[in-house]
Amino acid sequence: MSTVTWITARGLFGRSRFLMLLPLPLVLIGLAVLCRSLGVDPGQWGPPVLVGLGLAVVLPVVALIVGTGVLGAEIDDGTVVHILTKPLPRWQIVLPKLAVAAGVSAVTVAVPLYVAGVLADSVRLGLALVAASVAGALAYSALFLALSLVSRRPVLLGLVYVLIWEGLLGRFVDGTKVLSVQQWVIALADRIAPTALLGTTVSVPVAAVLTALVTVGFTALAVDRLRSFSVAGETS
Amino acid sequence: MSDATGVIHDIGYQRYTGPRLGRRQVFGALYGHGLRTVFGLGRSAKAKIFPWLVVAVVTVVAAGLTAVRSQLGQVVLTYAQFADAMSWLVIFFVAVAAPELVSRDLRSGVLPLYFSRPLPRGDYALAKLAALMTALWLLLGGPQLVMFLGAAFTTSRGMRGVWDELLDLLPGLLYAGLWAVVFASIGLLVASLTGKRAFAAGGIVAVFLMTTPVVGVLSIMPSRTVNELAFLASPSSLVSGVGTWALGDLLTQGQEGGIPIGGFGPVYAVVAVLLVAACVSLLLLRYRKVAAR
Repeated sequence: MSTVTWITARGLFGRSRFLMLLPLPLVLIGLAVLCRSLGVDPGQWGPPVLVGLGLAVVLPVVALIVGTGVLGAEIDDGTVVHILTKPLPRWQIVLPKLAVAAGVSAVTVAVPLYVAGVLADSVRLGLALVAASVAGALAYSALFLALSLVSRRPVLLGLVYVLIWEGLLGRFVDGTKVLSVQQWVIALADRIAPTALLGTTVSVPVAAVLTALVTVGFTALAVDRLRSFSVAGETS
Repeated sequence: MSDATGVIHDIGYQRYTGPRLGRRQVFGALYGHGLRTVFGLGRSAKAKIFPWLVVAVVTVVAAGLTAVRSQLGQVVLTYAQFADAMSWLVIFFVAVAAPELVSRDLRSGVLPLYFSRPLPRGDYALAKLAALMTALWLLLGGPQLVMFLGAAFTTSRGMRGVWDELLDLLPGLLYAGLWAVVFASIGLLVASLTGKRAFAAGGIVAVFLMTTPVVGVLSIMPSRTVNELAFLASPSSLVSGVGTWALGDLLTQGQEGGIPIGGFGPVYAVVAVLLVAACVSLLLLRYRKVAAR
């Protein structure tokens, strides 16, 4: 475990504001348990809880806050200089940070999704959701980490993607679903455990290839952008 | 060293003896500045990107709806349904605007400067809140005005048609005001908790988005009462519930719409009032604490 990993993890967990992330998974588990204990048909509560809350809200929002936080917070307060001036190749800075971001988001999202998946259908659906959400967490984290190097306002750009592209356009314009991480995650989970609860128009090979492509591509972009990085003050 | 040799010269500085503007002007200045901040006026181009992106999208949607209506004579969305359909953009706008209004001041530590003026603690928070409410109302009301103008100029029934259209617009604007009040109070409260704009924006979006699926789940519960009370769980459906109860047919104009709240309309109104009151008083408490630091 490299020092960068250690610093990043401590930067994330060392503050009390990390606790702000906890309500999201807790609500997810709470709703699943509530529905199950009241005996509501899983066909009815599955889609709103698993997709509507889990994959469409908790996964992107957690990945956004964590993914832009691992590097963005240091850029914001200027302490990124301390890491950049060490004789480290840039990829040794980006990859550990990406690993921490993806790992934290994956754990925060996969655990409640596993519980909800098991309660909704079967252990197989739970495991499928875990696998798919880990892939999704990787893709989202790579995307948002790169955003925090491309722009000074990474959270807002990320919100544009999550809210407007995936949320608004994804609902009304079907074509945009091909380029939506959320739909890829649904497609992958549905392929591993075919149920009536998840459904999407994106084909599985496309989803798998694009997920890998986004992860690798945006990581490469982040490494490249960090190669010639200028530290500036807060935008006015 | 016992001899006092220093002399204080009178070099002619004068005290300000003119009229001093009072509390109302301070409040007004803060409100005006807040409203300009929300839209990025008087700031760099970068600060204008996100607010005006949202304004552009809602205006384009309104123009599209107007065009469809004038060509096909079909009302796709009424004024109130327009506000409902734009809810995600409103959430995004709050996530952009609220941190700009309060988080920057917290971060850069200028609050002691504000509070060294004759400015009560509460006034600072209320001025910011009023600015955000006005901005949200403008965001929803402006496109509605575009839709109204489009409908008014293409009506085939002369002044009578324009008058009917105006009667449809007014409840729509009132409804937009309801959206503005509820969303601004919640958003500003969340933003005032942290000095980091990034975290404030994430927190606001998390609060608003997390509650929406809760409504979806509660409305399929096996109890009718729970179903009809489910819409209390999320700010946007709470606003719809109050609108359905208070304005009723004026909002949907005879179309399909409204949400099934049963006979619980007054409950929705009371909860909405309590929610706004709670948010505002927590905000005031928050600024009492911040100011004491």
